[in-house]
Amino acid sequence: MGIVATGVGKSIGKPIVRILGDISLEIRSGEFVALTGRSGSGKSTLLYILSTLDDASEGRVEIDGRDVARMSATEISEIRNERVGFVFQFHYLLAELTALENVLMPARKTGRTEELTSYARELLGRFGLGGKEDRLPRQLSGGEQQRLAIARALVMKPRYLFADEPTGSLDSANSEIVMKLIRESNRNFGTTVIMVTHDLGYAGWADRRIHLVDGRISSTPTST
Amino acid sequence: MMFLAVRYLLARRRQTLLTLLGIFFGTAAYIAISGFMLGFRGYFVNQLVNNNAHVHIQPREDFLSDHSLDREFFGRSYDHAFWDPAPSGRKDSAIVENPQSWYRRLAADPRVVAFSPQLTASVIFSNGKATAPATIIGCDPLQQMKVTTIADYIVEGSFTDLAAGGNRVILGDELRKRLGVRMLQNVLVASATNAPLPFKVVGIYRTGNRFTDQGAYGALADIQAVNRTPSQVNEIAVRLEDYLQAAPIASTWSTLSQEKVESWDQLNANIFEVFRLQDAIRYVSIGAILVVAAFGITNVLNMTVMQKRKDIAILRSLGYQSRDIVTLFFSQGLILGVSGAFLGAVFGYLFSRYMQTIPFTGGTMGGRAGGTLIISYDPKIYIQAVVLALLSAIVASLLPARAAGKLTPIEIIRAGAE
Ligand SMILES: Nc1ncnc2c1ncn2[C@@H]1O[C@H](COP(=O)(O)OP(=O)(O)O)[C@@H](O)[C@H]1O
Ligand SMILES: [Mg+2]
Repeated sequence: MGIVATGVGKSIGKPIVRILGDISLEIRSGEFVALTGRSGSGKSTLLYILSTLDDASEGRVEIDGRDVARMSATEISEIRNERVGFVFQFHYLLAELTALENVLMPARKTGRTEELTSYARELLGRFGLGGKEDRLPRQLSGGEQQRLAIARALVMKPRYLFADEPTGSLDSANSEIVMKLIRESNRNFGTTVIMVTHDLGYAGWADRRIHLVDGRISSTPTST
Repeated sequence: MMFLAVRYLLARRRQTLLTLLGIFFGTAAYIAISGFMLGFRGYFVNQLVNNNAHVHIQPREDFLSDHSLDREFFGRSYDHAFWDPAPSGRKDSAIVENPQSWYRRLAADPRVVAFSPQLTASVIFSNGKATAPATIIGCDPLQQMKVTTIADYIVEGSFTDLAAGGNRVILGDELRKRLGVRMLQNVLVASATNAPLPFKVVGIYRTGNRFTDQGAYGALADIQAVNRTPSQVNEIAVRLEDYLQAAPIASTWSTLSQEKVESWDQLNANIFEVFRLQDAIRYVSIGAILVVAAFGITNVLNMTVMQKRKDIAILRSLGYQSRDIVTLFFSQGLILGVSGAFLGAVFGYLFSRYMQTIPFTGGTMGGRAGGTLIISYDPKIYIQAVVLALLSAIVASLLPARAAGKLTPIEIIRAGAE
């Protein structure tokens, strides 16, 4: 079980520009991996490819032993719904829904809202959002919004949590809280975490670092 | 997805309301205008069908051709006559050629309820110094009453009084006024070919239609005498079991005989032509309103799709599929259409109820003293209105919804990050 990328590359645009090339890596179940590199080095692109949001131009990606390129749209949506959680730099929340409704949005897709409501409340409580379940996103602070987004990513108890600079828009105090929550879910619940970060300090929290330079993996993975 | 669609609509209440208004007005207007038009039309057809004969059998109006008088003037002795000038005009005082065969045929036909032979003549009424030209219909009053409702419009005397014979006449109210006569007085009736004969006024009728009320009725034999055309008739009015069968029956009879046979609707073809024009105008104007409403929906949905691109990306990353996104935006359009159509139908109905209280006596169409506008509540109108409104909402939502479904999460996230 885990995610395996073999010779993954990505080319875009006209004229064609190769923004990612020759990426081979394996992420084992339960790992906490940090993706680092300078801005524009291809971190986000790699993250999206590993998480089914984007497709590779070359090479293959396997999630839990299954080739992503061969999955149907329905299978991909099932993977996104059940096995994968996303956290973006900007807390993409639905402005019309309350905190609790936002967290339960993945559950709603498969009609599991009732079943997961108490777990969603528990998550919100653990994330310091107890009592704020009925607030709209705009009634929450930036840090609270990002915590809400992480709660939503975790509500289906996914195997994988993908985070693209989750602290990128937060102050240091809130960054600390968010990072602790991510590490907690990795340590206590065995969630595999793949996180893009600029912050070398937080990269150090990971089990392993993958460093990108111009769309390629530059050094051999280092263990902590 | 319905859940989120409703939230979206509620979050932008003013926009939602404005968009709804278009569909609302289209539906309400269609119902009100159609109710009014079809109500009047129903009344009109009812009048036509109830008050008058369903089928009219009349002599063909023969127009003279260059040689149609050769035989009458020259017999068979000449093959060809040269006329200078050639005869032209219309054969007048045309009569139904063989009324007896018509009577037998009509009496034997089970679809025929009653028929009334008539002789209509142009005469001049006079009472002292007052004179008035008028059309008098000679008929058998008992037969005539089975074919038309003229007896219902008698305001003085009785229509059956004509039957007693002996030069009696029933006058239309307008004609009576012009002649200044009262009941049981005598008026003189003169035809082009006959000296004036005294007729006794035994009844007055008033239909409310000015034109009809300038006429008169007499017994068939009396009018034949005045006209010096004994036992001739120039119309046979027929009432059928089923007035809707009138046109096909008239057409069959027409091909079987020399006479011109016309049904009530063929006779009023020009009016039905006007109705068709009205329908066209009705459809076009409602169509225009709904097209505008549809554009409104399309615009608003396109805007919403643009504004909610991030939401689309989030939903897709959470496992929602392309078709869920299509549903999300399509159902917004559908909700607008359904609620607009529903509210429009309710308002259209209420407005129809209001219109029904507006006084309307029928004008020259016929007397309905103290009457009000007649509004149709035919379910067909409501079904058409709602179907049209929903259809326009559906068509309007289709494109924006499909466009939203085609957006991939990655392109939105990429666009948002830059
Ligand atoms: N859709 C795109 N159009 C044009 N350039 C793109 C697009 N996506 C990525 N790139 C380019 O590819 C490179 C890698 O981007 P990205 O993966 O976002 O890097 P990072 O996340 O490390 O900053 C950058 O140079 C970026 O400009
Ligand atoms: Mg990036």
